[in-house]
Amino acid sequence: MTLNLVINTSDPPLGALLAAEHVKSVVPLSVEEGKSTRLTISDSVQFRDDNSISRYLARMAPALHLYGANIMEETEVDHWLEFSARRLSDPSSRTSALAELDKALSLRTFLVGRGLTLADLSVWAALKDNNEWSGKGGSLPHVSRWFSFLSSQLPF
Amino acid sequence: ALLGKDLGALRDIVINANPAQPPLTLLVLHRLLCQRYRVLSTVHVHSSVSRVPPQLLSCLGPRHPDSHSRHMFQLGFTLIWKDVPKLQMKFSVRNMCPIDGEANVARFLFKLLAPYSSDPALATLVDSWVDAAFFQLAEGSSEERAAALRDLGSTLGRSAWLSGPELSLADVACYCCVLQSGSAPSAPASVQRWIKSCGNLGCFSHAKTLLL
Repeated sequence: MTLNLVINTSDPPLGALLAAEHVKSVVPLSVEEGKSTRLTISDSVQFRDDNSISRYLARMAPALHLYGANIMEETEVDHWLEFSARRLSDPSSRTSALAELDKALSLRTFLVGRGLTLADLSVWAALKDNNEWSGKGGSLPHVSRWFSFLSSQLPF
Repeated sequence: ALLGKDLGALRDIVINANPAQPPLTLLVLHRLLCQRYRVLSTVHVHSSVSRVPPQLLSCLGPRHPDSHSRHMFQLGFTLIWKDVPKLQMKFSVRNMCPIDGEANVARFLFKLLAPYSSDPALATLVDSWVDAAFFQLAEGSSEERAAALRDLGSTLGRSAWLSGPELSLADVACYCCVLQSGSAPSAPASVQRWIKSCGNLGCFSHAKTLLL
């Protein structure tokens, strides 16, 4: 069965689209443009927000470990999903959130574990969505390095 | 085995929480953890808060008589009442970042009790209810809260629990957030019925007594 993801073109769920791009070889999925974002699983189950859609797609392709490789990594991924949806998306908390992110990335290539996870995709998408941070790139060396490293690999 | 190799040592869960927003969900899960593991529970008060109500000081139950011998326990659960903007958990700090947010800590604690469903739709449904509980029912605007209550109502009109035939983390989180936000009296009939069923369970009745 092919899953159908409808995206709101005026406010595309960037994190979910990146997740979709990563799982498309394993999970049959079609993407369609529309007025509101939703992924329909069955008559009674639909997911409408970026994080739920990303979680579902990652779980449909467990071998890719997009949700981490154990309970602790899963919990870190959950932390970063909320971090990007709440703190990075709220102008009043963005500055402190960016400083925290820079610290977290100081010794890491990827946010969680040793490979790409939903944490990288959702935080990258939140930064891509607002470019005011890049002016401060000099004060955020680790975020800048990580962002351009991912940008060279991600399909956007 | 759940937490990896080194299960010989006592694993410490340290939670910083603000007494202005007691983490009811985590206190319910703490109760359930105590039924499953030998848990060494401790409550501290950080100097950043001046007064903590007595029911919050004793919220993890009486001090364990064997608390001097850490080797007798499997899990350490330390709750620090502190003036933090957002609840934070530290666990295994060498290889895990501090985890922010009651929702994410709740997911972690629940996984220590029972594995998440292996069905991707069911597991994600639970996660989306947990998000709805904290971001709409507890912290949302009045419109968001009303919309979430309507969703709760229509789901509970079709099934006894939120994510299917069995009680799950979705029920724990939504129940605690509905109580905490004080929106129970205005909830639809199906939600009222579900609140009663939850309230009849031992682990939930404890949460009620901690409401300020």
